[in-house]
Amino acid sequence: MRSSSYFAMPARALLVLALTAVAVPAAHAADTPAPALAAKPYMGWSSWSMQSSKYPGLNPDGDYSYLTEANVLKQTDALAAKLKKYGYAYVNIDAGWWMDKTWKSGFDQYGRQKPDPVRFPHGMKAVADRIHAKGLKAGIYLPAGLEKGAYGDGKTPILNAEGCTTADIVYDDLRTTNGWDSAYKLDFSKPCTSKYIDSQARLIAGWGYDFLKLDGVGPGSGKSGDQYDNVADVAAWHRAIADTGRPIHLEVSWSLDIGHAADWKKYSQGWRIDTDVECYCNTLVSWENSVDDRWDDTPAWTRHAGPGGWNDLDSLDVGNGQMDGLTKAERQSYATLWAIAKSPLYTGDDLTRLDSYGLSLLTNREVIAIDQGPNPPAQPVTPSDPQQVWAAKNTDGTYTVALFNLADTPAAVTADWTTLGFTGKASVRDLWNHENLGTYQSKITQALPAHGSRLFTVTPRGTAATLTAYEAESPTNTLGGNASVADCSACSDGKKVGNLYLGGKLTFNDVIVAKAGTYQIKVSYISGDARSVDISANGGGATRHKLPATGDWGTVASVYVPVTLKAGANTITFDSGTGYAPDIDRIDVPKS
Amino acid sequence: MTPAPSRRGVLAVTAALAALPTFKATAAPRRPAAAPALDTDARHRLWWQAPADEHSMIEQGLPVGNGRLGALASNDPGRELLLVTDATMWTGGLNDTLDADGQFPYGRRDFGSFTLLARLTVEIPDHDLSAVSGYRRTLDLARGVNETSYVRSGVTYRRQIFASHPDDVIVLHFTQSGGGRYTGTITLQGTHGEEPAVSFGATLPNGLRYGAAITAYGSGGSVTVDGPHIGFTGCRDLTVVLSGGTNYSPDAAARFRDPSLDPHQLARTKVRAAARHSAGTLLATHTADHHALYGQLDLSLGISSAEQRSLDTWERLRARARDGVPDPELEAQYLQFGRYLTIAASRGSLPLGLQGLWLDGNDPDWMGDYHTDINIQMNYWATDRTGLAQCFDAFTDYCVAQLPSWTDLTRRLFDDPRNRYRNSTGKNAGWTVAISTNPFGGGGWWWHPAGNAWLCNSLYEHYEFTASRAHLEKIYPLLKGACEFWEARLLTMTLPGTSREVLVADSDWSPEHGPLDAKGITYAQELVWALFGNYCTAAAELKKDTAFAATVAGLRKRLHLPQVSPTTGWLEEWMSPDNLGETTHRHLSPLVGLFPGDRIRPDGSTPAEIVKGATALLTARGMESFGWANAWRALCWARLKNAGNAYQLVVNNLRPSSDGSNGTAFNLFDIYQVEQGRGIFQIDANLGTPAAMIEMLLYSRPGHLELLPALPDAWAASGSLSGANARGGFVVDLRWRDGTPTEARIRSTGGRTTTVAHAGSTRTVTLRPGDTVTLKGFDR
Repeated sequence: MRSSSYFAMPARALLVLALTAVAVPAAHAADTPAPALAAKPYMGWSSWSMQSSKYPGLNPDGDYSYLTEANVLKQTDALAAKLKKYGYAYVNIDAGWWMDKTWKSGFDQYGRQKPDPVRFPHGMKAVADRIHAKGLKAGIYLPAGLEKGAYGDGKTPILNAEGCTTADIVYDDLRTTNGWDSAYKLDFSKPCTSKYIDSQARLIAGWGYDFLKLDGVGPGSGKSGDQYDNVADVAAWHRAIADTGRPIHLEVSWSLDIGHAADWKKYSQGWRIDTDVECYCNTLVSWENSVDDRWDDTPAWTRHAGPGGWNDLDSLDVGNGQMDGLTKAERQSYATLWAIAKSPLYTGDDLTRLDSYGLSLLTNREVIAIDQGPNPPAQPVTPSDPQQVWAAKNTDGTYTVALFNLADTPAAVTADWTTLGFTGKASVRDLWNHENLGTYQSKITQALPAHGSRLFTVTPRGTAATLTAYEAESPTNTLGGNASVADCSACSDGKKVGNLYLGGKLTFNDVIVAKAGTYQIKVSYISGDARSVDISANGGGATRHKLPATGDWGTVASVYVPVTLKAGANTITFDSGTGYAPDIDRIDVPKS
Repeated sequence: MTPAPSRRGVLAVTAALAALPTFKATAAPRRPAAAPALDTDARHRLWWQAPADEHSMIEQGLPVGNGRLGALASNDPGRELLLVTDATMWTGGLNDTLDADGQFPYGRRDFGSFTLLARLTVEIPDHDLSAVSGYRRTLDLARGVNETSYVRSGVTYRRQIFASHPDDVIVLHFTQSGGGRYTGTITLQGTHGEEPAVSFGATLPNGLRYGAAITAYGSGGSVTVDGPHIGFTGCRDLTVVLSGGTNYSPDAAARFRDPSLDPHQLARTKVRAAARHSAGTLLATHTADHHALYGQLDLSLGISSAEQRSLDTWERLRARARDGVPDPELEAQYLQFGRYLTIAASRGSLPLGLQGLWLDGNDPDWMGDYHTDINIQMNYWATDRTGLAQCFDAFTDYCVAQLPSWTDLTRRLFDDPRNRYRNSTGKNAGWTVAISTNPFGGGGWWWHPAGNAWLCNSLYEHYEFTASRAHLEKIYPLLKGACEFWEARLLTMTLPGTSREVLVADSDWSPEHGPLDAKGITYAQELVWALFGNYCTAAAELKKDTAFAATVAGLRKRLHLPQVSPTTGWLEEWMSPDNLGETTHRHLSPLVGLFPGDRIRPDGSTPAEIVKGATALLTARGMESFGWANAWRALCWARLKNAGNAYQLVVNNLRPSSDGSNGTAFNLFDIYQVEQGRGIFQIDANLGTPAAMIEMLLYSRPGHLELLPALPDAWAASGSLSGANARGGFVVDLRWRDGTPTEARIRSTGGRTTTVAHAGSTRTVTLRPGDTVTLKGFDR
């Protein structure tokens, strides 16, 4: 049986389908001991946002020139003074520490990156020492592969590897790799290759670094295919770091392929799920370029996050509205998503110029606790509509609930308790405003500004919702167009309805409710990529909803969709319209 | 200096109303002893759960207005924004130099544009929307009050915004319960380059003077002028009062200015006078005044479900469209919202233009002007039908005030040899207008010869509704001048294929459709036929111009009236059997004899083939247009007693607009999509759709009333209408059940004898003015 996914994205879908045949280990069982690294998402500061910005005065000596010892130490002092007590610990030097201000690389006699003497006149160790002296941790950066400038005619010796030169660690055809094709791909079938990684690892460990961002890693970083498959690089780094004996957090970047999530989890402590958050413009970031991408791109990754490895949404630039290029509402939403997704919280702001609102966002202990606490990351419980609700069920029975309005104008957003799994009353605490809002029956509705958000802890005072399941593959349903029943091991009863594309349609007949009203129906579906579907009841007007990607075609997710039903029997239709819709596993309809 | 109003001054005001400036000193208003006890029924309240975005005010801002001075309010807790308008705040002027094609220039400097008067902001930094809960805002249609409430740190905050006609100010009243305090900044700023200031006055390039002023007072804290702003700190409550206006005067002889009026000074005087009263007193005065008009009509179209009632207005609109389930209370609210807009924007100043009194910038599409080829007429179709006869006067007064200028422009410019629409008879008399008109006697875009007839027929209909002889006296010069124009313009033509000589209109453009130079367009023939009839009745009633009336009656008999095309089967739009335009064109110009005229009647008095041809044309025009075009279609279908189509078109206009699509915006303003992703506000549908809703319930013409002529199934179960004016000089109250009237009360406001019909049964009632009769037993 061919999945409809086959038609939408043939190449990638085939790859994904093949991979999902392999059982993916559960994220981290609750009873395993906390990992030594990344037990919680890391918190700190990174240099790249200011380096990449054209904000006046940041990079007076050319692009990316912000990165200097003086600036890093200035930020170190500010981090220590203002944010350390809230858990911010890492000071991360990003790309360019071995480049001069014309962005020309420097390498040592072993083909390893060499600190630029203008940017870092005292070398990298001196900086790490200064960071450590403040009780903070030091981070550094490297690109994947052997940088072209390090090759040196292939004759450059590899440290501590007798007889090995750079020609012995790359492919004979000098195929390039990484997100910029700025390096030769390392050939790990050659015995010399891992020694080069060892030499780099020992270098940064020797300087005392606690964190490495390995960038341009594929599949990801805008690349796919064997040439850009850097899983072996990451594995080599994982081993090389272990061999140094120094605990160094390894973070991989950028836009990593979710099909390799198991690899990133195995070998690293965090992975950038998306493109750079920075706008490369006159501010650090902008809402559309590309903070807002994260609401669509995060859900597929959520189940992969856990102690020891986290979904990295990139820098959290909310500390200074003018520099960030965001409204207050956007900054709060930005911080809210990062916290509920349990992303690492590292700001790229100028910590010497935080405004009071920015400081309040970065230091809200209740919000930080969401990110750093023991509870799972939140997922959308509604479709990816302009108004959406995300939630996580916490270990103490409460829920973390975030309301988002991604529209360009203010709008009311409602969290219906049914979408959390209970009915009746609940008490609500507003985390950003440190207020108990009181008890709400059935739902809470709040007015949100454009691109705005609210973040609540909801404590149920009611009872569990009771739902009636209707399987998509039930013979009492009506299939239209190409829609057909398919096997699905992750689905309830092992089957789903797929091929909902170009007019494909699934109608649940005989959905029975006791009284007329609007019901939040739970839609369980599979959708490797985010897809939309028109949902209607009783032949009435349809509402188009985009359902978040599940990341592959073997994982079931669910969201709640409002449907107006009449007392008695109803039909509910999922119509692909002129596009491609998710596969449907089943729906669950509240009894009241 | 404006003299202080005295009793004599007030009397003089009444005598010469049309020539007084619209922003003027007024006598102290009559104040009610207490706030009126009003119907608190939720059916009179629209409500929302989110404020407006400052960049989407036209779709999301809530309108208030006192008939002249208006605003759109954002209702954002942390930053209230009011976009303030005065109906007379127009650029441009007489515009009496024609373009090379003999038509009028149509730009913002020459013809002019309606523009904003000021922006008012009240910033309360601690009340950022992200920090408050339980946000809600309402528009109370019965009280004329926009209210916002929310909770911040356990304190409930409320603000009320209203535009008072009696006090001639806009009031913002901020209160709280629970020990809260208000701290923030009030800023008033003009939109024509002025710096922020507590009050300002300036002059537009066209010489129009304007000004605005604010004041504020509170309790428990301090309110101080802080440079160009007003600051308030720690106030338990706060009242902000705003006034403003221009020195516009509806007097062509004075070039539409009152040179003695200083609007800046007058605005300051007005806010000071109002600020002597508590916000509660101002509110009670306003509410009594507003409700005196609003309460003149009540409507129930049936009962909505508890589920429908639980939704906010925007969700309710979306559910109505999505579920396809009638929501009779929402549909009645839509009508009442149209009445609210009329009360707010059509009293004592200029009439309702394309956007009524509300703008979000100084460059409204089509200048926010007066379009005489459907839009201004449609703006007043519901006024009498929904019991707001007093609000019609702004339209009448506008035409009366413009007439000298319109006459002058016609005399000087219509003959221009470059004007393709000039009279080929070589004669020129009376007056007409351009498609667009401004408030300075000027026209814009193209000449619109038949526009005079349509304006006159609209004004005459108000006489039919009210039987007001004073109104007829007032409009008589307009009617007579229009007849003189047509006497000079009509051509004698031998009807092709016959030897019959008929009178036809000279070369003209059936509005915005088809050939530019067609003789005898149905639009003109129908309008002039109705004009001549109206004039003859008026002359007889007023005992004037007997000889001219006889001439006009003679001309009327010879007027060609449209035929049905043997080719298309449609009532012809041009004197041609061919379809020379777009089949689904928005305008229904050739059906102007079906509505608003009623020459074409489906009651057997009109030849069946004409009714059939009109029906076929209306069918061809389709059901999927936009705002005003749907409203006009609905009215035509109501006249043809096709309740299903009429209702469907009403429902089509209730579709929620998204991303600028045709339909109803968040704030219930009607949106017309001008291009993909960009919609603009056009108020005509907000006012024309209610007219259609009434026309489905009550048809009237002098001497004849028909009850429930096109009652849709959605409203049939039960309902009531009270206070609707009917042509012939009656006010009708009506109740129905299961599609049949259970009771009809007919009160005469000047009408004498009328038949009252329902489903084929007809009764005749005769009343003296002021008398009422109650009819029952229609179900037998």
